Amino acid sequence: MSELQANISGIIKSSVIDGPGNRMVIFFQACNLNCMYCHNSHTIGLCNYCGICAEICPTQSLIVDKENKQITHNEATCTHCDTCLKICPEDSSPFYKKMSVENLISEILEVKDFISGITVSGGEVMLQAKFLKEFFTAIKVHSQLSNLSILVDSNGNVAQEKWNSIIDWVDGFMIDLKAYSPQIHKQITGFSNEKILNSIQYLNLKGKLKELRFVLVPDYNNSNKEIEQISNLMKNLSSDVKKILIKMRKHGIRGKYTSLSEPTTEEVLKAKNQIKEAGISLTVI
Amino acid sequence: MEDIKYRVHEVLTDGNLDYKQKKHHLAYIAESTQAYPNVSSEAMKALSEKVICDLFEGSAPYRPRYVLPDYKLALKKGVAYLELDPPSDFDEAINFLSILYSHIPSITGYSVYLGNIDQLLLPFADELSEEAIYKKLKLFWRYIDRCLPDAFVHINIGPEDNIIARAVLRIERELKQVVPNLTLKYDTEKTSDALLTEAVKTVFEVAKPHIANHNMTASDFKGEYGVVSCYNSLPEGGGSHTLIRLNLKKITDSHQGNVEDFISKTLPQYCQMTLDVIEARTKYLVETVKYYETDFLAQEGIIKLENFSAMFGFYGLAECVNTLMKNNGKDYTYGHNEEANQLGHRILEEVKRIVDSRQLPYCKANDGKAFFHSQSGIDIDIDETAGARIPIGDEPDIYSHIKAVAPHHQLFNGGISDIFHFDETVKRNPLAILDIIKGAFKKGMRMFTFNLSDSEFIRITGYLVRRSDLKDFREEGSRYGSALFAANSMDNANIDNRKAKRVNSHERTASQY
Repeated sequence: MSELQANISGIIKSSVIDGPGNRMVIFFQACNLNCMYCHNSHTIGLCNYCGICAEICPTQSLIVDKENKQITHNEATCTHCDTCLKICPEDSSPFYKKMSVENLISEILEVKDFISGITVSGGEVMLQAKFLKEFFTAIKVHSQLSNLSILVDSNGNVAQEKWNSIIDWVDGFMIDLKAYSPQIHKQITGFSNEKILNSIQYLNLKGKLKELRFVLVPDYNNSNKEIEQISNLMKNLSSDVKKILIKMRKHGIRGKYTSLSEPTTEEVLKAKNQIKEAGISLTVI
Repeated sequence: MEDIKYRVHEVLTDGNLDYKQKKHHLAYIAESTQAYPNVSSEAMKALSEKVICDLFEGSAPYRPRYVLPDYKLALKKGVAYLELDPPSDFDEAINFLSILYSHIPSITGYSVYLGNIDQLLLPFADELSEEAIYKKLKLFWRYIDRCLPDAFVHINIGPEDNIIARAVLRIERELKQVVPNLTLKYDTEKTSDALLTEAVKTVFEVAKPHIANHNMTASDFKGEYGVVSCYNSLPEGGGSHTLIRLNLKKITDSHQGNVEDFISKTLPQYCQMTLDVIEARTKYLVETVKYYETDFLAQEGIIKLENFSAMFGFYGLAECVNTLMKNNGKDYTYGHNEEANQLGHRILEEVKRIVDSRQLPYCKANDGKAFFHSQSGIDIDIDETAGARIPIGDEPDIYSHIKAVAPHHQLFNGGISDIFHFDETVKRNPLAILDIIKGAFKKGMRMFTFNLSDSEFIRITGYLVRRSDLKDFREEGSRYGSALFAANSMDNANIDNRKAKRVNSHERTASQY
């Protein structure tokens, strides 16, 4: 086995909402977008061992060793108040772990009898494409795991060669689109979206795009023009691609973005109807 | 006598009971005038303190607790007592069964088993279209719910995928009736994913069927079996004379000494006492009442004494384990700690060994031994968790849950059940449930079911009630006998507040008066 390791922010061993069947979901730390409504903003950054979290922890459950770049977490005293996550200036977390391909394989082996497959998510999982390639290969050549399906949940913000490096091992990609216009995209995420739009087209062309999700944010991406462009994009994708309209929800978003408003029922209906009128089969969640 | 008069008066004037329910309660009071079958004073004391519980079977057993008629044989031969000739088509078969059902005895007065209905009706379905079958079955289902209004009435389908099983699931989803309770026998080789998916979608709507591990269960019986009442698996053409359960919590509370003393002294002492009660009740039914000589079902071979045994049940394992752990200075809890789980398995294996080494009369169906059953609880169980389950609301994640309980499922030839809980999001992904079902069976589970949060149906333990029926019952009585048990369970067991929905019950109704 290789020495490669990935930063894993969490593993959910049974998820019924991350693709078909019961799935194990692995969340990778670090993201190359910074969405205003991110529900897991502590998965955006990487830890720089500044130690602020340890200082503020009300139960002194964290010890940060700057020199050796190590964090000790006392599970017994931690009350999961999440103060450390809220205070982190890097939008990171003291809890993610370095794991090897071997570590992840043994996690999957524990639950293999109960799952249809695995889903990798983030953060932005494609930032660790090199690790994924090894990980997916290990699954597909493993006699007890080769029947598992592999789904990738991504923001799409990577170049084509990254997709090429893993596409043969992956059963499907689920991509989020935050906005069509690059300017609006930049407002919502801090970055432009050329790579994302290219990724959507490329994965569609390769027959591997499973889902395209559009998150509706009032006053940002719900204008007639924006929805029209999203509709055009969706219309040109294969009918096998599941198109989903997601209502932005404020649950878990950072304090500085609480002024965002969730779409009203009317706003959702308006966007839904506009997309449906373009002849697109749409799921709203 | 004054006491009896008072109890009768209470029943007669209770406006929450309908005529049939009153008659049932009056019969219970009449039965209670008889002396209890002959057991030791020690056992009588344990019975009166509910250390040993006879589940309100009554003091003079005049019918077996669980009767599983050989409906296939009845359909083939006809029933002379009821002047029924063998049916020749689908309509006649349904009519035949409808009549026969109403003559099957039980503790509640309604048959606990209506047969493996798809297998029974398939031979009559050849000429019929899917739509015709659906229409006829739908009326049949309405008859069952209206005329056998008891949630312990149980019907089986599977394991093969077939037109009747599918129609039954479709009808269940449409009618949303409490009755009949339903089990799908699942066999990896024989049951298609398509049928299992239909079943799962039905679970989403009406919290049934239960899913039974067909191969595992079938291997415990010499002939055919049925899943009846609250997850009891028993032989067809026979059943169980009685079910007596031991309260493991109570015997642990009064136990003086360590774990080894409990396993070597207290446990065997009470197990033998429970078996004494089982033996005495069985003898009374067979020798004094002569049920198996006089009832038409036995006379016509639809049931046979040789296909009967009795059932040894228990409940409160979780409390038993937790107390023993605590007394041993360890704050480990059942379902959450490996050492506690292992102690649970050890206790159950010991009980099973004791049950298997005692020869009982008239228990030929299991070679003279009682069937071992993890009893899923009744409404009076306030402090005890059902059978070997993990306490309500305290269940770990699904994998840990399965890992904790699966190892002892193989012990229970008389049936066991666990309930897994999901929130509503799973409805968009039935395949996820298929994955869990298949995985759980691979790990050796025998039977289980699912509850969904916010479902219109609440599974009290093994049986279902509608949320609305509970409310109505409290206000004005209910057509379903089981609504009363459920109302008591809800009041007693904090059911509305839990992740889980269960706590089984049965025969308390009559004993309240």
